[in-house]
Amino acid sequence: MGADIAAGRRSRTAQGLAAGAFLGPATCVVLVTMVAPLLLLARYSANRYSATDLMIEAVTPENYLRFFTDTFYLGVMRTTIGVAVLSTLLCVLFGLPLAWRLARMAPRWKGVCMLGVILPLFIGSTVRTVGWMILLARGGLMDIATTRLFATRLDLMFTPTAVIVGIVSFNLPYLVLTMQSVFDRVDVQLEQAAQALGAPPVRAFWRVVWPLVLPGVAIAAVMCFILSMNAYATPVLLGGPRFQMMAPLLYWEFGTNNNWPFAAALAFILMGTTLLLTVFANMLIPRRYRA
Amino acid sequence: MSAALQLRDLSKQYGPAVAVDRVSLDVAPGEMVVLLGPSGCGKTTTLRMVTGFVEPSGGDILVDGHSIRMLPPYRREMGIVFQSYALFPHLSVARNVAFGLEMRRQGRAERDARVAEMLRLVRLEGLADRLPRQLSGGQQQRVAIARALAIRPRLLLLDEPLSNLDAALRQEVAREMRILQRDNGLTAVMVTHDQDEAMAMADRLVVMRDGRVQQIGRQEDLYERPATPFVARFIGHSNLLAGSVQDGQVLALGGADVALAGRYAPPAGSSAATLAVRPERIVLAPPGTHPEERVVGRVALSSYLGAAVEHVVHVGTDQRVVVNGASSGPAATARFAAGEAVALCWGAESERVFDAADRVMPRSASNPAPVRSGHDSQTISKVASNAR
Repeated sequence: MGADIAAGRRSRTAQGLAAGAFLGPATCVVLVTMVAPLLLLARYSANRYSATDLMIEAVTPENYLRFFTDTFYLGVMRTTIGVAVLSTLLCVLFGLPLAWRLARMAPRWKGVCMLGVILPLFIGSTVRTVGWMILLARGGLMDIATTRLFATRLDLMFTPTAVIVGIVSFNLPYLVLTMQSVFDRVDVQLEQAAQALGAPPVRAFWRVVWPLVLPGVAIAAVMCFILSMNAYATPVLLGGPRFQMMAPLLYWEFGTNNNWPFAAALAFILMGTTLLLTVFANMLIPRRYRA
Repeated sequence: MSAALQLRDLSKQYGPAVAVDRVSLDVAPGEMVVLLGPSGCGKTTTLRMVTGFVEPSGGDILVDGHSIRMLPPYRREMGIVFQSYALFPHLSVARNVAFGLEMRRQGRAERDARVAEMLRLVRLEGLADRLPRQLSGGQQQRVAIARALAIRPRLLLLDEPLSNLDAALRQEVAREMRILQRDNGLTAVMVTHDQDEAMAMADRLVVMRDGRVQQIGRQEDLYERPATPFVARFIGHSNLLAGSVQDGQVLALGGADVALAGRYAPPAGSSAATLAVRPERIVLAPPGTHPEERVVGRVALSSYLGAAVEHVVHVGTDQRVVVNGASSGPAATARFAAGEAVALCWGAESERVFDAADRVMPRSASNPAPVRSGHDSQTISKVASNAR
């Protein structure tokens, strides 16, 4: 009996070692490429900045205090959150019907349409943004069109609208792909059953499909929100020099100002805010619908 | 006569492919009609056209004399039990059953009473607050029926309702569903590919193949008087022997001749024919000992199956006949070993001959088949065992 237990313990130890051997390499990569830089960044964010010596070793909260006491930086954060929330809402609004339609499509058309959704991802984000610039800029296609048709000038370049349009177009494919797979898992017969019981299609969707896909849609929306919060190229190229969002600001402090301690603090503040808002949004979903 | 459901030349085409080809059917009030056929025969498409989820290419659907073809599914008032049951996984049993009543904006008290009544009907009173995933397959199926019946549907439509249950449960549930349907006077249409299920549940059956109705009738009609070789094979696994009719009473198979029990008049220009005989209507005897001997073959396989004994007999150059008989009791069949020569014997009422166009070949009236009285299988088996 005792021998059995000992043998069992030994085999369990062996199992543990085997599991460790499988998990080891991945853990090492994560440690080296993610945790270590983050720790380094955390350490930097507590350092002091001097215009002559750049970074001075210290342990001080002044970088964080500077952010939370300066209305300019708080304003940038407010803009960033505003743009991220708005573009996420628009993405869900546009993406939902698209994803649903795709999931319910006959297989032979589905492939083609999926390709259509994925195709923009083949083009680099910068190239796509330049495309938007050509469309939106003064003297661009939209401007020419509205001038000819309605005799009004339309200059959307360097406006928040342009940034939101850019971010939505950038995030939409990811969102549609994620939500499509969520809708795919909902049996068509559930919708049909609801309809047979007297629910018109829209009502059948809200009463039966929506509660079932809500957790998946929430995950897709969170992903979209995180991408928007951290958007860099779009705000820089479509927002122009006076439109400030967190990621470009961070890069500017880091690259142009050489203020590494403050840039590190900004990075942590951006990360923390994103995380906090994501958790908060998740709490808004009723418990019984959570994944 | 006023039919609860009428299909008139109902058709469905997908591009050039015809899924359902001019199906016409009348279902009387309180009747259970089963659409039966192999997969791809169009039975499910027919049902879906009645539910409204597939749009017909032609023909019409009438409920109580009014066309419902233009009505969307949510206004057709049909109780549908889906193959997968399609219970709403996020709603309790009671909320599932109440769903249709909520859609009709019924008062809460009335709704609760109806839900309780339905759960009592399917004997699930204690499980009202469970979620569907906490129920067994049989219980889920009963919830699906309760949900479909709660709205007092004009028709109950069942799409392979038993195929997701294990074999042991299937018979019991089938019996219960049949009693429920009978007792409540429900008009029902069921789809299945399982002929035993169909035989057990139906008032009338519709056998379909390649989108067409092969035969409509009661169990006895289909079994005793199949309209086509397909029906003969599909209902009760008839043996089909292909050959040509000669002199109206011999079927030449190639390598062997069957002395037919009846006299037939093949249509002008074609003597090709198919003979259908059921496995349990054939009696085996040593050659030359039985008054109703039709053809002699060679036993290929003899298996003991418990209640029944099955022989597979090679006839002619390349055809096979399956023969079933009781393994014990007064009508026990004689057993023959593989390789033995054996005579296949049957009476006139057990054979059916079809012409090249799969129509029943008429018996020629001028010379009626000789009626032999009382082929007592007991004496036959005695003869058979003596011969050994």
